[in-house]
Amino acid sequence: MYFDRRMLTTFDWHMAGATLMLVGLGILTLWSGNLGSPSAMRQGLYLRQTLWLAFGILALLAAVLVNYRTLARFAYVIYGVLLALLIVVALVGEVAYGAQRWIRIAGWTLQPSEFMKLALILTLARYFEDHKERLGDLRLLVVPTLLAVAPVLLILKQPDLGTSTLLCLLTLAMLLVVGLRGKHLLALVLAGAALAPLLWSFLKDYQRQRLLVFLSPQLDPLGAGYHITQSKIAVGSGELFGKGLKAASQSQLQFLPASHTDFIFAVWAEQWGFIGCLVILFLYYFLTTHGLEIASEARDLFGALMAFGVMAMITIQFVVNSGMVLGVMPVVGIPLPLLSYGGSSLVVTCLGIGLVINVRMRRFLY
Amino acid sequence: MSQPWLSPAPLIQRKIRRAAMVVTAAFVLLLMRFWYLQALEGRHYATLSAHNRLRLRPLEAPRGFILDRTGAVMVENRPSFNVHVIPADVPDVEEAAQAIGPLLGQASTEVAARIRAGRAQPYEPVLLAREVDERTMVAMEERKIDLPGVSLRVHPIRSYLDGDSAAHFLGYVSEVSQEQLHREEYRDFQPGEMVGQAGVEQVFDAFVRGINGREEIEVDARGRLVRLVDRLEPQAGFNLVLTLDKKLQAAAEKAFAGKRGAVVAMHPQTGEILVWVSRPSYNPNLFAQRLSRESWEKLSTNPSHPLQNRPMQAQYAPGSIFKLVVMAAGLETGAITPDTTFYCPGHFTLGDVTFDDWEKAGHGWQNLMQATANSCNVYFYQASLKTGIDSIGWVAREFGLGQRTGIAVGDEAMGLIPTPAWKRRTQKEPWYPGDTVITGIGQGKILATPLQIVTMISAIANGGTIHRPWMLKRVESWGGEVVAAYGPEVVRKVNLKPQVLEVIRRGMLRAVEEGTGRASRIPGVRVAGKTGTAQVVKKDAGLTGQTKDHGWFTAFAPYEDPEIAIVVIAENAGFGSVAAAPVARAILEAAFGPARDRTTVAQGTGPGGRE
Repeated sequence: MYFDRRMLTTFDWHMAGATLMLVGLGILTLWSGNLGSPSAMRQGLYLRQTLWLAFGILALLAAVLVNYRTLARFAYVIYGVLLALLIVVALVGEVAYGAQRWIRIAGWTLQPSEFMKLALILTLARYFEDHKERLGDLRLLVVPTLLAVAPVLLILKQPDLGTSTLLCLLTLAMLLVVGLRGKHLLALVLAGAALAPLLWSFLKDYQRQRLLVFLSPQLDPLGAGYHITQSKIAVGSGELFGKGLKAASQSQLQFLPASHTDFIFAVWAEQWGFIGCLVILFLYYFLTTHGLEIASEARDLFGALMAFGVMAMITIQFVVNSGMVLGVMPVVGIPLPLLSYGGSSLVVTCLGIGLVINVRMRRFLY
Repeated sequence: MSQPWLSPAPLIQRKIRRAAMVVTAAFVLLLMRFWYLQALEGRHYATLSAHNRLRLRPLEAPRGFILDRTGAVMVENRPSFNVHVIPADVPDVEEAAQAIGPLLGQASTEVAARIRAGRAQPYEPVLLAREVDERTMVAMEERKIDLPGVSLRVHPIRSYLDGDSAAHFLGYVSEVSQEQLHREEYRDFQPGEMVGQAGVEQVFDAFVRGINGREEIEVDARGRLVRLVDRLEPQAGFNLVLTLDKKLQAAAEKAFAGKRGAVVAMHPQTGEILVWVSRPSYNPNLFAQRLSRESWEKLSTNPSHPLQNRPMQAQYAPGSIFKLVVMAAGLETGAITPDTTFYCPGHFTLGDVTFDDWEKAGHGWQNLMQATANSCNVYFYQASLKTGIDSIGWVAREFGLGQRTGIAVGDEAMGLIPTPAWKRRTQKEPWYPGDTVITGIGQGKILATPLQIVTMISAIANGGTIHRPWMLKRVESWGGEVVAAYGPEVVRKVNLKPQVLEVIRRGMLRAVEEGTGRASRIPGVRVAGKTGTAQVVKKDAGLTGQTKDHGWFTAFAPYEDPEIAIVVIAENAGFGSVAAAPVARAILEAAFGPARDRTTVAQGTGPGGRE
């Protein structure tokens, strides 16, 4: 990894700036939203997130410095390692020695699965670049589907519905951008639906029970609306200008089951009102469109697909999470990238943004 | 197949631009939705927010049961009811306090103060009383109308069925402390939650804890329940199946009643802990119900240290039990053979220092087997000198002395095997031959925990394998499904010739059949064992003021195919042959059936029952 002076001038300060601002607003919300919390853990969240931000910045810089062609070369290896890690997590959950390790595994399942998002993007981009001569062949659909299905099943088994859903949507977006047609898309989705009962049979009784509990807020028609209702009340009661940092009582009620992760946008909306939401929407919109522009101007297919995949990952999460907070989408447990509390999610998103910047910077290098 | 579904790069640029359009559309829709909720419907939601009538009530998950190896229940839960109040739902604090106070037998001013203190977080329930009785519950139900915001909540209380039995092994639960809440491992805990604080309850807390549920309820303007909106059932914790044997545990505790010290039994082939007694003990039920200040002070300042987990935290001089190590070192290095004899006149002189035997009259000519059976000190003074401290120290470490056994519970003591290097480092003094002599009979600076001794004896019994002592066999779901299962874990193979271990086993057999360990004999089963006495030096007598020696006994049985290894130490109780060996016999009787011929056993405690 050598350092080229031109890198400084071509570094995308806009993109990095928008990212930093979003994380900063997230930390502000973690601080103000948990001021009155009885739990010391909650009160300290903003400090931890600040620490994670430091790692995030390092990750972003690292992703910028590596030549992304190197990543293309190692894409399958990275994917393989992460898949192996996911398998280890799945197996160790069964035979772990000692309860501590078991709970560690259970508590940190997110880690390999978070990094799997990026690995899948790299692998798919590499695969399509390898086969760009025969992109017309329908058989090319088989391998990408398998590459996606393997981690999706492993992550679903953890169980982490949110991340598996995201991986599915992400794969679909990448297939669409390389030219998947409507009827083929439909076939793929149906095949996916057919797989579900098969997975169910793999699970143990208590795992099924936990999965059901996990899913029940959406499945139970009576209980369905209540978290959504609370979230809507929080957002709506912010009105145009918000209630201010400390007066936001709705968030304190603790009806938002994960006000520091999945429902952080509702806390923000209550505090800052429509004006505040406009700021967040603008920052994300800027980030997304700017990133997609970089993707379309990339100098090779791998760069284009990698940048597109990262932006798709961020945007899908943002839209699904906002939709959930606004009560127009089901609760699947997808965090708001950059704003929600969570170390691995933050680091992975920063890595991804670093890769996009990398693609832009190497447009004219060499 | 012939029809292309993918197109080359220029088209991808177009597709990405189309994606950007889709994104723009999605953002516009989100923006419209925000506008609708916050601008158009904002007033409406602000009103809803101000009069939010939904309350969240946590439902505590019951902890899993703890069972012994046969499935007999040792720890369960019983329900109790706590009284809470939500400050936001109390319209008039004075009035409410006047109504609640008398019902709970508390001063109304105190109740009012507590409600006011909770005003900072008006939706957080404030605990007013724990474990109210049935009469109070009925009275509260009758006067419900006058008690806005007050509710009764089920709170499962941990119940240790046999009180202080195996308390140090099982551990106890109590509320997570302020100090713990600041630590990383406890980041998922809420204040007031119960957590395992010692023993099995602590080590396997994650398994046994379960997952709390919650209830969403709608209340009226006076904070009274109108309807249940949603309920997420709590998930009970998993059940723990221990390695412990309740029957043997009871036998050991009965035989050890009134004594201070420790008893441990282990399965020598696997390292499973079968019996774990630490006396004096405490009643873990007291912690589960919130310990009163006096009870805590009584426990923590008791000079006998009831909270100390003696089998793994108390360190004693191993006394004559250490002769087994000297024997192994001597045989392994060839310094002695089973036929080596020494003359015991009752004392041994080295330079100008004289070391006594416990038998003043002396044992006369002794070979190795006789010396072991009679626990002759003079024989082992000379054997140690011949073998040398380096070999003795090496074999001691081979057997796991001076290092932690690796049992899952924390704060295990290391013990101490003194060596010349250690003495130079800590005392700034050279090692004298006299140190070797003293160490050779397990006195002086040498220290070991009962758990180390029983692990060593297990290795002698099973042919040289040191196992990590373990406590948990299985974790089961309520449906009986095995969630996790554990097995033996080999720490290492002792690096000694098999014949050496064979000679040690023979010596131990002889010590029980015709030597100092006779009090542990039971009919029908051949027992091998060794007595010991840990001298109590005056300055170590501590707060108890006791200067009487500690009595050791360790054994394994059956001799041919060992199924149990035992260690007993009775503090300040005198010779191991009298104080400790009968306790081992009680465990052996429980394990292998009752004594059929009482007279034979009674004869075993005759005059030979000496050190």
